[in-house]
Amino acid sequence: MKISWNWLRELVELPPGTGPVEVATRLGLGGVAVDGIHAVGKDLSGLIVAEVRARRPHPKADKLTIVTVFDGQSETEVVCGAPNVPLPGDGGPGRRPRVVWARPGATLPSGMKLGVREVRGVSSPGMLCAEDELGISEDHGGILILSPDDGLEIGGDFAAGADLPDFVFELDITANRPDLLGHVGVARELAALLADQGARLRPLVTDLGATLASTDFGTKPAAELVQVELVDPLGCPRYLAHVVTGVTIGPSPLRQRLRLQRLGIRPRSNVVDATNLAMLLWGQPLHAFDLQALRGRRVMVRRARPGETLRTLDGADRQLAADDLVIADGERATALAGVMGGEDSEVRATTTDILLESAYFDPATVRRTARRFKLHTEGSHRFERGADPNAGVLHAAQSCVAQILKLAGGRLAPGCLDLYPEPRRPRQLALRPTRTDSIWGLQVPAEQQATALRRLGLLVEVGANEVLQVSVPTFRPDLSREIDLVEEVGRVHGLDKLTPTLPRLQVAPPAESTPGLRARHNAETARDICTALGLDEVILFSMVGPERLRLVGGPQAPTPLRLDNPLREELSALRTQLLPGLLDSMHHNLSHGLSEVRLFEVGEVFLPRPGELLPAEPTRVAGVLAGHREHLLKPGPADRLDVYDVRGMVEQLLAGLGYELLWAAPPAGPGAPHQVYVRAATTDETPWLHPGVAAAVVSAATGELLGSYGEVHPDLRQKLAIEAPILAFELSVPDFARPPRLYAAPSRFPAVTRDLSFFVDATVPAGDLIVTLHAAGEALLGEVQILEDYREAGHVPAGHKGLLFNLTYRLPDRTLVDEEVHKAHDRVVSHLKSRFTVQLR
Amino acid sequence: MTMQPSATTAVELQKQLDELLERYKAERAPSEPALRVLHARYLGKEGEIRRRLTEALKAAPGPEKRAIGQIGNSIIAQAEAYFAECLSTIHTAARQADLARRVDVTLPGRAQRRGALHVLTQVRRELEGIFAELGFSVATGPQVETDFHNFEALAMPKDHPARDMQDTFYLQSAPPGGPSQGAQAGDGEQLLLRTHTSPVQIRTMLAHKPPVRIIAPGKVYRKDDDPTHAPMFQQIEGLCVDEGVTFADLKGTLLYFVQRFFGRNVGLRLRPSFFPFTEPSAEVDIECLFCQRSGCRTCKGSGYIEILGCGMVDPEVFRHVGYDDQKYSGFAFGTGLERMAMLRYGLSDLRQFFSGDVRVTQQFR
Repeated sequence: MKISWNWLRELVELPPGTGPVEVATRLGLGGVAVDGIHAVGKDLSGLIVAEVRARRPHPKADKLTIVTVFDGQSETEVVCGAPNVPLPGDGGPGRRPRVVWARPGATLPSGMKLGVREVRGVSSPGMLCAEDELGISEDHGGILILSPDDGLEIGGDFAAGADLPDFVFELDITANRPDLLGHVGVARELAALLADQGARLRPLVTDLGATLASTDFGTKPAAELVQVELVDPLGCPRYLAHVVTGVTIGPSPLRQRLRLQRLGIRPRSNVVDATNLAMLLWGQPLHAFDLQALRGRRVMVRRARPGETLRTLDGADRQLAADDLVIADGERATALAGVMGGEDSEVRATTTDILLESAYFDPATVRRTARRFKLHTEGSHRFERGADPNAGVLHAAQSCVAQILKLAGGRLAPGCLDLYPEPRRPRQLALRPTRTDSIWGLQVPAEQQATALRRLGLLVEVGANEVLQVSVPTFRPDLSREIDLVEEVGRVHGLDKLTPTLPRLQVAPPAESTPGLRARHNAETARDICTALGLDEVILFSMVGPERLRLVGGPQAPTPLRLDNPLREELSALRTQLLPGLLDSMHHNLSHGLSEVRLFEVGEVFLPRPGELLPAEPTRVAGVLAGHREHLLKPGPADRLDVYDVRGMVEQLLAGLGYELLWAAPPAGPGAPHQVYVRAATTDETPWLHPGVAAAVVSAATGELLGSYGEVHPDLRQKLAIEAPILAFELSVPDFARPPRLYAAPSRFPAVTRDLSFFVDATVPAGDLIVTLHAAGEALLGEVQILEDYREAGHVPAGHKGLLFNLTYRLPDRTLVDEEVHKAHDRVVSHLKSRFTVQLR
Repeated sequence: MTMQPSATTAVELQKQLDELLERYKAERAPSEPALRVLHARYLGKEGEIRRRLTEALKAAPGPEKRAIGQIGNSIIAQAEAYFAECLSTIHTAARQADLARRVDVTLPGRAQRRGALHVLTQVRRELEGIFAELGFSVATGPQVETDFHNFEALAMPKDHPARDMQDTFYLQSAPPGGPSQGAQAGDGEQLLLRTHTSPVQIRTMLAHKPPVRIIAPGKVYRKDDDPTHAPMFQQIEGLCVDEGVTFADLKGTLLYFVQRFFGRNVGLRLRPSFFPFTEPSAEVDIECLFCQRSGCRTCKGSGYIEILGCGMVDPEVFRHVGYDDQKYSGFAFGTGLERMAMLRYGLSDLRQFFSGDVRVTQQFR
């Protein structure tokens, strides 16, 4: 919302020495955020209004003109480069256009000082100014041409006549304060906030009758000129119409045009400008209809009819919905109520009779329509937030009528049409001053609280027990409860007066953990492990392209949740997997010339849950890696990261997250919930991984897939334009706590180890063999380590591999004797031989 | 015939053993393994000295055995002493050779890597830590939310203009008859991506009676995309509800936070503002960190930087969660993690946080 400093000062008397900066600061600290202050037409001096008397071409330059101007006393020739220098008689016989002449000695806002200058051999004292040179707009299309109607005296000071200089405040008005969407409201607020310093509102003349002369009235009453019907008082609680006949449409005087322009509204015609100025003053949107375009001389405020259409002022044809409130004439909709007028009934150059609408439309109705048509107008902005059905509607209409009569002539039809079936009364509220104190942590006497509220325009009486009885005018729809008054008192009082304290801490410990919190704790652990493993964290958008999810996750990928109104296709689905985003990041980093890239992300994925309102949002940890493991100086081919580097990381993550990694599926039924094992993944499970270098991490309890790791499929890499081999993992972060552990004293007795070396079919997983060794049920057997896996041709039988295990035997309570170990080892080996074809070595 | 101790035998033996000892010494093993081989050859069970001695003992008549034993022990002692001396020499030489090694300490080390936590993770942890000092515990909630939790219960009913402050992403409803996407709320209402962390307030208060003192960090979503707005960002939100909680308590809590995070000499100011779910509401500015209030680009010349929004929980919100607003009062506040990080580290483009570029992450290692 733009507010003019000059206009504000017409409405409020400020304490001496209060400038725009002080006003902005006070408004800000009072809750009216000021985003900026812009000076308009500042540093203008020596500019006068001059009449154009003659013009002739410059003898040496085609594009220059020599203009004879008259400053009220004498004529002077000035050289001008503008293409639009007028001639006497332009704009009608006998009319003498006026221009702004910056005489020698004048200063322009740009800092330019004018003197007498030679322009291609012709001496030019100063120059004629364009709008941008005057600092009033960006326009440099030609010099500013004033008409005699602009009311600027020849030889007079241009700045004073044009209401310059001025400052424009950019206010950020919160949605609850529609009253601040007009200068009157801001003036009232400012007067309240600066009351202690002596600021006072100036009395506003609001009685139309008192300002008009008898000649301003027409003979026919409004009711005879037009018939207004309020069909939908819910959508439109008040509709007030004035009729003015015999107006002459033309441009507004410069002063008004500049004021509008400065406040962000394009000047159009005297009538339309009058409605806009009244809106900027009162915060009440108005609309002027061309009365003769209203068929049947009727106005109906109703909902749109089935199939009804309307061409709005912006030229768009709108298909109306049954919920849309419209202003219709005898035949069709002719305006979208509170949002935008219709093209057919707009005021145009030929208009002579107008109907001026000042109404109060239901905020929700206007909002729905504005949103449906994606229209955000000065009108809808105000009506959505709540205009003032009483003073606002009335005073805006009256000041607008007065302005129209002044600028466009015409006569006001006696008797306005005011349809207001259920007038809104001021809201009555009670405020306990103790409530104010207990919410703010302040102590403000009741009378002082009453004063604060009165300054805001509220009527306050101090009742029994010092309770304040407050009557809230309808321009403050936001004040509907005691707590709202509590806020107002504190706001006017000043938040800087609060002494900071800390809330009392309770003995009760905080609420117990929820499953979500446990996952969150584990997520933090995952982050710490990943960084310790040398991975860099990224945080990526939860939204991805559905195409990406399919590209990575394959046809079996879960169907993602889709956004109804995405910013763009690549951000239109909620991720079901972290890897697609990480692979894109990998590509991004590699394409910036990096070669050693290890990324991880810990974050939520979104999985629809049949029968549940909300999707599941499990936390995952995933990583992608390219490059080499630890190496000295230049890495060699043998240093390239491979699947066992990722496996090592996955092992660390599993252990840190409270999982227990088994060597294979437990042979005797389901395992515990925290137990997992790894097996080769199928292409259906992990289509993004190389089919031969893909591992599935599986729950030993349920067989559910908890994660995967491996080498990214070369086809996928090609589609993602990644040349380097990439390794990837993704794991569920559990939402359970790691099972409690109890201390076990280490054995004091020495262990005995035995090697076991054999050939076995190359497809048998080592994990299965280890599980089998343990499954022999040998109580003495402790850890089993795998030391070698070799497959060199010539050293192993075809289709086989050689494995070397190291088995540890021990007892907790005594030293083993050789014989015992020997027998136990024999039993373990024979168990292995009973399950697998092995050739011992 | 009486067997006399044979002087000749003893002398002979002495001589032979002396020779063996000399030979042993003459062989000069260059290394420890060679020395041990040598030692075994002469002094091991089957070694030449031992064997000769054993033979002599076997052959000698009883009375002579003692004298022969003495000769043997003496020779063995000399040989072992020699062995120990050689071993020591070899060890000393080896140690000296080892100590003569010189590395190039300027060569880079074996490429180890320590990963970096994302700067937003670091800032979030720090903030959680600061509020933990004030007794706030962490609470979480879903990112896909219902209209009720995100708007309605926070006093933003349908058609409320305040919803414009937060341009919302909505989820598509499940296709009719298709598998449930979980996207269809009651009354055909659309689910949405939460626009703020405030729904966590609602979920926490619905689940727990006062006192409540939580901090809720998390991802939130708004339909925005420019250098100062990303469609996803992270907020951190605080809520404290109890009997007798005041706005002055809120001010104190925020002052503690600001001075712990930004520095002990950074002041703050509160400006009244509007949020539908708090009343009274305020925005909090800190004194500009970059210009000491003299005015600069970051603070747009005002000397202050806006960092968060806050207020006293609106009675309407208490009504939705079944708290008695006459008995309890509480405050809430919320800010953006990105904003905190940008202020501290001088980043200007918020989208950099989510670019996945390790050159950003690694700066904050």
